[in-house]
Amino acid sequence: MSGVFTPELLDRCISCGFCLPACPTYGLTGVEASSPRGRINLMRALETGVLPEDDPTVLEESSFCLGCRACEPVCPAGVRYGALLEEWRDHMWRRRRRPWRLKALLWAVDRPSRVRALGLPRRHAHATRRARGGPHLMLGCFERALYPEVSRSASRLAPELSVPSVQGCCGALHAHNGELERGNALARELGEALPGSIVTTAGGCAAHLAGVLGRERVRELSQWLADRGDAEPPGVSRSPRQRIGLQDSCHLRNGLGVYVEPRELLARVGDYVELPSAAVCCGAAGTYSILRPDDSARVLNRHLDEIADADLDVLAVLNPGCYRQLEQGVRRRRLRTRVMHLAEVLVGTTGAAPGP
Amino acid sequence: MTATSAEIDRLLDRLEQVVGQPNVRADAGALVTYATDATPLQRGRPDLVVLPANTEEVAAVLTLANDARVPVIPRGSGTNLSGGAVPLHGGIVLVLTRMNRLLEISESDLVAVCEPGVRTIELGEAAAAKGLLYPPDPGSQSTATIGGNVAECAGGLRALKYGVTRDYVLGVQAVLATGEVIHSGGRLVKDVAGYDLRRLLCGSEGTLAVMTELTLRLLPAPESSGTGMAYFSALGDAARAVSRVLASGVLPVTLEFLDRVCISAVEDFARIGLDTGAGALLIFGQDGDPHAVERDLGRIAQACEAEGATEVRIAGSPAEAATVLEARRAVLPSLSRLEPLTILEDATVPRSRIAEMVEHIQVLADRYGLKIGTFGHAGDGNLHPTAVLDPADEDAVRRAHRVFGEIFAKAIELEGSITGEHGVGIVKLPHLERQLGAAHVALLRRIKAAFDPNGILNPGKLGS
Ligand SMILES: Cc1cc2nc3c(=O)[nH]c(=O)nc-3n(C[C@H](O)[C@H](O)[C@H](O)COP(=O)(O)OP(=O)(O)OC[C@H]3O[C@@H](n4cnc5c(N)ncnc54)[C@H](O)[C@@H]3O)c2cc1C
Ligand code: SF4
Ligand code: SF4
Repeated sequence: MSGVFTPELLDRCISCGFCLPACPTYGLTGVEASSPRGRINLMRALETGVLPEDDPTVLEESSFCLGCRACEPVCPAGVRYGALLEEWRDHMWRRRRRPWRLKALLWAVDRPSRVRALGLPRRHAHATRRARGGPHLMLGCFERALYPEVSRSASRLAPELSVPSVQGCCGALHAHNGELERGNALARELGEALPGSIVTTAGGCAAHLAGVLGRERVRELSQWLADRGDAEPPGVSRSPRQRIGLQDSCHLRNGLGVYVEPRELLARVGDYVELPSAAVCCGAAGTYSILRPDDSARVLNRHLDEIADADLDVLAVLNPGCYRQLEQGVRRRRLRTRVMHLAEVLVGTTGAAPGP
Repeated sequence: MTATSAEIDRLLDRLEQVVGQPNVRADAGALVTYATDATPLQRGRPDLVVLPANTEEVAAVLTLANDARVPVIPRGSGTNLSGGAVPLHGGIVLVLTRMNRLLEISESDLVAVCEPGVRTIELGEAAAAKGLLYPPDPGSQSTATIGGNVAECAGGLRALKYGVTRDYVLGVQAVLATGEVIHSGGRLVKDVAGYDLRRLLCGSEGTLAVMTELTLRLLPAPESSGTGMAYFSALGDAARAVSRVLASGVLPVTLEFLDRVCISAVEDFARIGLDTGAGALLIFGQDGDPHAVERDLGRIAQACEAEGATEVRIAGSPAEAATVLEARRAVLPSLSRLEPLTILEDATVPRSRIAEMVEHIQVLADRYGLKIGTFGHAGDGNLHPTAVLDPADEDAVRRAHRVFGEIFAKAIELEGSITGEHGVGIVKLPHLERQLGAAHVALLRRIKAAFDPNGILNPGKLGS
């Protein structure tokens, strides 16, 4: 079954195994097949026909992978695992093999009109009428529906950003779930709808957009705020100082290398506590928590243990998927910690503050 | 020795009873992922993968396999570079990473006791937390296991001053191919009861017994460390500087070199400001009490200057030190990006012959039309000639095999070794007799037969 993968991507891996300790799913099972190196060997076997397309292990591992890309920064050979995984899922989940839950999700965000409908009943950042030259704040698709306060907070932190009303989904969900072409097309459409710089509050969207549109055009909010370099963000005079932890966004950290900025911002508004697994995937992983709830919960557990041990007041997140995952986990465990997006923490909202 | 599928099926049931059903894998997908290790171009085909949890399970697995005459290939993290964990004749890949408990770090006895699946870095960090040092630090320490380290007798960057894995193995618990459990050595510094079997197991490459518990020597951690670098216009100058350093009564903790090809590759990739006009880069380091470190670094710098170093720098800050070490760490990543296939070898020569050897490697590289960069441990003569090529180019692959054959021959001629730390494995087995002689190799076979009468442990490697 040749032609599934770009040969240059697949050839890169030198099988050194340096990625094994970084991989959360290898951590869970301890078997090579659920490690990055093992999965690359499965891809190679698929590509050369050593394993058939419907090999159960190939199917299972292509979906068990979190897609967190923790295997990338530790790889001495610069293997672009995330890109390989997109090609793999594009092939594996083509047509009938795609899980039905996924079809519904992707349908909902496939057109700007549907994305807009997602956000209608909720109150995200006030839209400015037309897209001018930018910089623009991107509203996201699920984020605008589930966490409209995030874009409102971002808008208050960065009033210089325009918020065009007509903007679709960035296509990250498509790209990571077996619709690579569509995912790239959506990113390009969004790039046209929002000419110039795009600022996003979702790490996953930032990485996907940067991959398609180029890094120069895309900034995640913490990067934008750090670049802008203002002295003190609003909401700083909170007393007593709160204990604040962070959950990195996988693609933001592993794909774009952004992880210092959010920590520095948080340290300005509270006592920043580095959780031991802050950089490890929380198990939300895009659609993973919906498609594989049990594995997702197993991945999440270690994070909840650490949050409980650290007795955090606030856990900051940088991505709507992590937001939902951790919010639900914290609630289920009855922890006192409040989960908030970085933008909300900086603004000092409770998550339900009145509008500006 | 290859088992029939009926035999394998029978074994499968019984193995599942021993280790539990989830810890036996027979699916084609899982088998593909255990067909290889980190060695390029070497591939086997296992019949089963078994992940035992303790010594008793290992013993039970070996007993079953021995009765059925089915090969067993021990495996840690599969990072070795000689094909040591490749199941050449099928059989059971016995993965020891579930046995990963660090049982004890004793400050009073200065020992660590652990299971074989503990990763080197975990042991190092646990020791450091108690103010102790476990010196062997192979480049793969974040992934490789202690069991794999002992089985390959891994070296590392600190070997010149502190020695290699073998120098830290005090005691071994191991399971013989026939299922009996033996102990050799223990917590004692002095112990001469019996042959020194634990030493024999160092570098045994999974062919004599399966190690299930290790007792390792620790040292008090040094107070501080420092590092620096020196450029030379020719590698010969760098080699003479190394001799001068050692003759001056300084035993540095690190003495690494990069040749011209490596310097360019690192600079092209990592852009850390290396001088690509230089013929060689020497990286040196010392640890100990702060005054001694400063004094020694000064002496090393003097020795380098005396041998015509074009530039010498001692890192003044942790950031500078990090850049110096980055130059060394970036070699393999940088070389491996040049072509899809990276063949890393570890021929070793006496220190005084390094320059001669590296120059010869370049002559061979030119003659065979291959790109080979050489870096390595200048202090102990352990070289890493690394060829990068396209595996689709079959002729290049053939030429690479021939070039390494000649490199091994040259190493032997210079009274060196075909392998300093990566092991004989599959790749260097054909060259072994040339180095050791027929009588020696015959003795290895008899030793192997005494440990493993049916030849089930890692067949096709050492002792086969
Ligand atoms: C990028 C890179 C850098 C490296 N740098 C170095 C270096 O600086 N120095 C160095 O010496 N090596 C280095 N290596 C080689 C390799 O990491 C070492 O050989 C390491 O010790 C292998 O450990 P492992 O756990 O991966 O063992 P594996 O590769 O799984 O196995 C190695 C051998 O040990 C046997 N074995 C494993 N566990 C046991 C056990 N419990 N009982 C009996 N036999 C067992 C196996 O059968 C096999 O023959 C490097 C490798 C890579 C890829
Ligand atoms: S770290 Fe990179 S090169 Fe090494 S095995 Fe993993 S993906 Fe392959
Ligand atoms: S993306 Fe994450 S889960 Fe998938 S192989 Fe890489 S590290 Fe493992």
